Parts: sequence; C-alpha cells; structure tokens
Amino acid sequence: MRQLLRFLYVLLIFTSGVAVVSNSAFGAEKDNDNQIDLIGKVVDKHYLDFKPLATIELPRLIYDNGRLHAYRSTTSLLNKSDVFTDARYVQAEPQMKDGKIKPASYQIVRLDGTKPQFDFSITAHLVFFWIAALLTFLIFLPLSKKYRQGIGRRSEPQGAFQNVFETLVVFIRDEIALQNIGSQKYLFFTPYLLTVFFFILFMNFFGLMPWGVSSTADITVTAVLALMTFGTTQLFATKDHWKHVFWFPGVPVPIKFILMPVELIGLFTKPFALCIRLFANMASGKILVMAILGIIFIFSNLFGPGVAYGTSWVWVLLTLFVYLIKALVSFIQAYVFTILSALFIGLAVAEHNEEHAH
Amino acid sequence: MELAYLAAGFGAGITTIGAAVGIGMIGKSAMEGSARQPEASGDIRTSMLISAAFIEGVALFGQVVCIVLALK
Repeated sequence: MRQLLRFLYVLLIFTSGVAVVSNSAFGAEKDNDNQIDLIGKVVDKHYLDFKPLATIELPRLIYDNGRLHAYRSTTSLLNKSDVFTDARYVQAEPQMKDGKIKPASYQIVRLDGTKPQFDFSITAHLVFFWIAALLTFLIFLPLSKKYRQGIGRRSEPQGAFQNVFETLVVFIRDEIALQNIGSQKYLFFTPYLLTVFFFILFMNFFGLMPWGVSSTADITVTAVLALMTFGTTQLFATKDHWKHVFWFPGVPVPIKFILMPVELIGLFTKPFALCIRLFANMASGKILVMAILGIIFIFSNLFGPGVAYGTSWVWVLLTLFVYLIKALVSFIQAYVFTILSALFIGLAVAEHNEEHAH
Repeated sequence: MELAYLAAGFGAGITTIGAAVGIGMIGKSAMEGSARQPEASGDIRTSMLISAAFIEGVALFGQVVCIVLALK
C-alpha cells in the first residue's frame, strides 16, 4: 500500500508537467531587442534564456487533428512544418536568419491563424521543475541509503552534506510533522512533507539563480502541489473528519445544516489558498524586481538619460534588497506550505474523543 | 473599462490595508506574548506564522479578484 502510494505520487509529479505546459499558450513572448518585455520575463517561455551566451529552444509537441507533431525546436518546426506557423507570420512576411525562418512570437498556430487543439510543448518552467525533482531525488536517495547503512543512526553523521540536511530533516519531522499531526501518525506523513518542502525549496531557489526560472511562479505547478495535499488529506481522513464536515457533533440540528455547506466549502478553499499563496508570493517577487528596475527606464524617458544614470544606483540597491527578501520568502513559503499541509493533514487524521466538548 | 482598472487598483489597496492591519495585530500580540514568556517563543512563532499565512490567504483572494478585474 505504502509503496503504491509513493509510486503514485512520483507519477503525479511527473505527469503534472502536462498541466504545466498547457498553460504556456497564454504567454505572449516577444523577441524585440529594443523593448524590454516585462510580462515576458514573468510568464513561461518556450526557450531557455542564457543571454548573452545562448538561447536554447525547447522541443515543441503539438497535438492536432488526431496526430502528434513533434519537433526539436521552434525554429525546426517553422522550417519543416507545412501545417503550423508562428502567430505573427500569418499576415506578415517571415523574418529570415542564415536562410532559416526565425521564431517571432513562439506562439504556434495553424496556417489560417487558428490555435491547434493542444500545445504540449516543453517550457522553461517545466525544465526547471524536472531539474528540481531530479535534484530532490539525487540528494535524498543517497542520503537515505546512508541512514539505512547506519551512518547517522548508530554513529555520527558524516560530512557537511549529511549534517546540513539532517538538521533540516529533523526540523521538519519534529517541529512541523510532530507538532501538527500528533505522535501516533506523524511518521507516516513525514516523507510527504519532506518531499514537498525540499521540492518547493529547490524550485524557489532556481528563481534566484542567474538565468534560472522558479517554476513555483506558475499557477499550474502550485495547483498540482496543493492538489496533492488535498488528496492526502481526503485519502487518510478519519470518520470523525467526515462527521465534522457533514454532521457537526455537539450543536443543535438547525446549526448542523448551516455548518454543512460552510465546512464543505472549507474543504476546497484550504488547498485553493495554498495554491494561490505560493504562486502569488513567487510571481510578485519577480514582478517587483522588474518594476523597480523599470523605474530607471521610466526616468530615462521622463528626465533624460543623465538623470537615469545618476539615480540608477538607488534602484539597483533597492533591487538587491528585494532580492534578499526573495531569498527569505523562498524559505518561508516552502516552510508555510509544508506547515499548512501538516496542519490540514493533522486536522483530517485526528481521532476525536466523543466526550470532549466542541 | 477604465472603471474596472480603477476598481482593481482600489481593491488591491484596500485588501493590502486589511492584511497589513491583521498581520500587524498578530505581530504585536506575538511580540507581547514572547516578551512576557520568552520560553514559549518557539510555539508563539509557529502559531504566528500560521495565522499570518491564513490572513495572507484571504488577502490573496482579494488580490486575485483585482487581477481578474484588471486583466478583463
């Protein structure tokens, strides 16, 4: 049972990529060198941006009319496909570079300008999502192997690597899982909480790295994570939990009817808030950095480039400050997501005494 | 259409005020609590973060409505 659940979780994590990529159709990507595209820096992209070194285009997978069209990159799709074209080339003449058609908007449409049925293309968010998942595996599988051999249990933990992660793991087990779930069941849910914490933490940290993208600034990623907490909560809920939802004990009957819809809505608002909270915090950090740096360009337009150069150090310092806040928020949001997941699970799996008053 | 932008701006501001008042009150009480009883500051910090997260959640619902208004 436990092995099966673990397998299902892993499967969910990887298949959630489909949800991630379908969101990419909303992203309006521009490749205009003169303008700074603020929205383009925040939404998902179909390429990995290593400017000024390189730009790696990601594979395009498009399902249309019962056929899956797969291409190595957007450029190769534009040059080889006779069904699809770039959204901006429906009316205008394609731009060429070295005899090849260059992608302009990265938004793929049919030749008549209509959208294809499903765009499953791999995006930057999905790539960093996979990297974070891989990192979680690569760090914790060797670590758990060490503990199975007895290093850290029968002897001291060895090396800085094991020591660093042991503090975090013990913190989550004792301060989050034990405090919120209770001493009887907390060990069963600790693996899930650990996975969620480190996975979110790694995804958040990728947003702080140069050229990195934080996948948690994508609402589909956070929605899937919240959905898994919701699933865990409902799957392992006790009879008492359902009783509290549908027929609240210890109150008069008319109140029971009032509480039933309230509790039912409460079931769904909890994961919804979990999803929106993580997404909004990570996305707003990105937007804030862009907005503050944008002040330099606004000043340049309003008062001339001299003023913009003169005052730019203020905005750069402010950006540095926001960046440090972002680092803090990355930790806090991973912690908050984990502790709230633990809290919701703890509420659902708690065994109530019928005698104690509500 | 322009009124929708105005409403979104006002809404974002008002939700922020509400969240700021709420989180400020939590911070105040938590500080008073841990000043009075320093040995309980660990528990207080945890409960403070949880309550702050709930308030933030409500504020974010408001912000989402504002974003929907602005993007309409």
